Amino acid sequence: MDEFQEILQDFLVESFELVEKLDEDLVELESNPEDLELLNGIFRVAHTVKGASSFLNFDVLTHLTHHMEDVLNRARHGELVITPDIMDVILESVDLMKQLLEQIRDTSSDGGIDVSACVARLDKITGGSGEVETPVVAAPEEKSTEETAVEEESAAADDEDEIDYENMSPEEVEAEIERLLAQRQEEDRKKREAKIAAGEEVPQMPNPDAEESKEEKKEAPKETSAPAPTPAPAKQVKKEAPKAAAPARKTPAQVEQTIRVDVKRLDHLMNLIGELVLAKNRLIKINDDVEERYEGEEFLEELNQVVSIVSLVTTDLQIAVMKTRMLPIGKVFNKFPRMIRDLSRELNKKIELVISGEDTELDKSIVEEIGDPLVHIIRNSCDHGIESPEERALKGKPEMGTIALKAYNEGNQIVIQIDDDGKGLDPDMLKSKSLEKGIITEKEADTMSDKDAFALIFKPGFSTAAQVTNVSGRGVGMDVVKTNIEKLNGMIDIDSEVGKGTTIKLKIPLTLAIIQALLVGVQEEHYAIPLASVLETVRISKDEIYTVEGKSVMRLRDDVLSLVHIGDIFEVERILDASEHAYVVVLGLGTSKLGLIVDTLVGQEEIVIKSLGDYLKGIEGIAGATIRGDGGVTLIVDVVALMDIAKNVKVTSMTETQEGVASKEKTQASDYVVMIVDDSKTDRTIMRKALEPMGVTLVEAGDGQEALGILKSGDYNFDAMLIDIEMPRMDGYTLASEIKKYNRYKNLPLIAVTSRTSKSDRMRGVESGMVEYITKPYSADYLASVVQRNVNFKAEFL
Amino acid sequence: MSDKLKDIISKQGEQQEQESVVGQLDDVVQLVGFMIGDEEYAVPILSIQEIIKPFSWTRVPQVPSYVMGVFNLRGAVIPLIDLRAKFGLQTKKQSEDTRFIVMRHGDDVAGFVIDRLTMAIRIKKENIGPAPDTVSGDDTIIDGVGKQADKIITILKVNKLLERDF
Repeated sequence: MDEFQEILQDFLVESFELVEKLDEDLVELESNPEDLELLNGIFRVAHTVKGASSFLNFDVLTHLTHHMEDVLNRARHGELVITPDIMDVILESVDLMKQLLEQIRDTSSDGGIDVSACVARLDKITGGSGEVETPVVAAPEEKSTEETAVEEESAAADDEDEIDYENMSPEEVEAEIERLLAQRQEEDRKKREAKIAAGEEVPQMPNPDAEESKEEKKEAPKETSAPAPTPAPAKQVKKEAPKAAAPARKTPAQVEQTIRVDVKRLDHLMNLIGELVLAKNRLIKINDDVEERYEGEEFLEELNQVVSIVSLVTTDLQIAVMKTRMLPIGKVFNKFPRMIRDLSRELNKKIELVISGEDTELDKSIVEEIGDPLVHIIRNSCDHGIESPEERALKGKPEMGTIALKAYNEGNQIVIQIDDDGKGLDPDMLKSKSLEKGIITEKEADTMSDKDAFALIFKPGFSTAAQVTNVSGRGVGMDVVKTNIEKLNGMIDIDSEVGKGTTIKLKIPLTLAIIQALLVGVQEEHYAIPLASVLETVRISKDEIYTVEGKSVMRLRDDVLSLVHIGDIFEVERILDASEHAYVVVLGLGTSKLGLIVDTLVGQEEIVIKSLGDYLKGIEGIAGATIRGDGGVTLIVDVVALMDIAKNVKVTSMTETQEGVASKEKTQASDYVVMIVDDSKTDRTIMRKALEPMGVTLVEAGDGQEALGILKSGDYNFDAMLIDIEMPRMDGYTLASEIKKYNRYKNLPLIAVTSRTSKSDRMRGVESGMVEYITKPYSADYLASVVQRNVNFKAEFL
Repeated sequence: MSDKLKDIISKQGEQQEQESVVGQLDDVVQLVGFMIGDEEYAVPILSIQEIIKPFSWTRVPQVPSYVMGVFNLRGAVIPLIDLRAKFGLQTKKQSEDTRFIVMRHGDDVAGFVIDRLTMAIRIKKENIGPAPDTVSGDDTIIDGVGKQADKIITILKVNKLLERDF
């Protein structure tokens, strides 16, 4: 049974591939009915599927394909001209074949689908009466397998004229089989001999028996799918041979160079690469830290080299693995010629589809998702875009409308462009329609640019067709397309000219798992914004923010940009002092823009998207999380959702004054709190002795780590810190720069107390945020006066 | 070897002896006990993936206050839930004894903040009573009440703990 399953799997994979190609070929055949090469190719597909399915006892499928084969065979021999009507029947039968194959895939049987009507029509085309019996129960197995053998033989040896086996008596069939088997064995022997002659080792085959014929049957379909190796019939040889030779050489080469890999394995590999990228980011961060700390040391160079090699190789590896997941977009494009053909017949329009760039590659997951939106857009172009031939003729356009489907790379993105030369979008019509439907207000309509008007077609509840047709409308509009594309982190751009046509551009990232992101900071938190949605960043001062109708806006060059504070969206607690300046990240999605106010810009980083899991899924405005170089988790902003949330956020509270954190009124000397950070107990005691007379509260820490811990715990509100430079675990410079990372302590005076006296040490002190630099030894009075100066010690406490 | 250490080892030995007697019976449940506030709770030992010391986490917006955020567990992003807050107790500062217990049920994983670990417990099934009538039913997160010599332990349902309820 296992063996059967294996064969079945092979059969299905092969058949689906063949059928996919078939669609394309058939449409091309209609425009080129004379193309024998094409006809032969199509015939072979039908034949292969028939052969294999009869071997596997799928009688309904065999029955159908047999009649298809009949029709195609006649066409191939020039006895039949393919008219559009015949084509319709053939296409219908191909559809049925697909359905049957899907049925087999799902249920392992081909029952339940009625093919009799289609078969009857096929039969009529070949001149039959149309009364054909459809097999319901399996034919005796022996007969069907034998028949397959016969079919395969005749296919492999293409010089056989098709013989009507159906009408043969069993004895005749037997005789025919005998004859063909003998012929085949003869061929095989010759081949073997040829191979032996060529020095290859060939396992000696046992005498021909039932086993062997079974073997052959399994091989046969593969053979027939490639052009037959045996000489073609004389009458075709002139035309076919040279063309057929090319694919024949190509096919085996492809087979050897590709292997099928379970997608799960690739996904796993991709996950591992993700981990590696995170580790790489971490390594780079550590390298930076080490570089800062041991400046000028010799081993640094070596470390640097290793880090850059690791990071280079990781990047290459990431690209390589990403490429293994890439599929040509042609896989999606393939189904459109057929769709356009059906649509144009249905709509009585003449439409031509021009496809280019089908080799452009995209991540598998995106290829799977992009199909439906594209179908929708193309249907729309056919239905609403392209005019009827009469109308086109009136306008002086060629009767044949053209839809161009194009894919190409642009930076880190893939652009899929759909152009039509139809009637185009009329911005005024779009506006009045939207007004009617209450999608926009009169005021909005007046100020709206054409581009914004085009974007109206993506609004929910908008449909330009006067009546909903079978083709483009099913109650869902282009808004679904927009949502789908945005789910892929993609963007839609639309442009149109009345009478000339419409261009829709879909910009989609190459991959979903790893993206470039802009990291921003708000208070003590960080967020990652997909860089694809970031148009620009600007630094503004607070008085550039205006309030209009309860919303914050700013002027950006000639435009007014609405603003929202990231802290208002993510409920960030405002414990820290907001500075006079802020950064605005201008987010763009399609034609809509939004300014996101953040406290700091951290930088650009490559991040690996991780899901938040079931427990936290569906949090509005959060698309996922990533792990940063320092091992912390950073949330990724969902720009689409964020723009929606922003609509409901009223004036930002950024201008609110913060109260009470650090500026408590000092009523006595002990309200001043000073921290002493030094690893030497003696030094701490000396400082304590110097400051105690002032009456201030003193807190001691033995090193930078400890000091940072005390700061973070928030038990004290410090007014100043005395910091030694030379300390274990975390030195004074690192401590100072760590402290300065917290907005809350931005203005905390840090005083270096050290025996390092060189100028460069002083410079480093200033760079890391120290305000004073006291060198040991010092007098107690001097220390006290420096501290007093820095904490604004009130004179009355002295 | 200090006396204290000897003491502990001998105690362990005793316990193991006891346990081996208990262990021969099939109907024994192994639990890990922990404190939240003044109460002792327990979950089945097999549902615990690991127990770790607290480290930094990232706040997540728009969630109830007992969801503290997410943290990085060797490359996986895992939610962190404060059981004190979930059980309606005042939150308190994390101390030396605070631990994150990472629990797993099927594919669901989450970290839970507890005040203090107590011990691994082996308890006979017959010593586990049903949850009090007032809190029983499908919705409760209490699986049962384990009776021990000197105290009772509330046994929690891990699948309920890991269930999203907001």
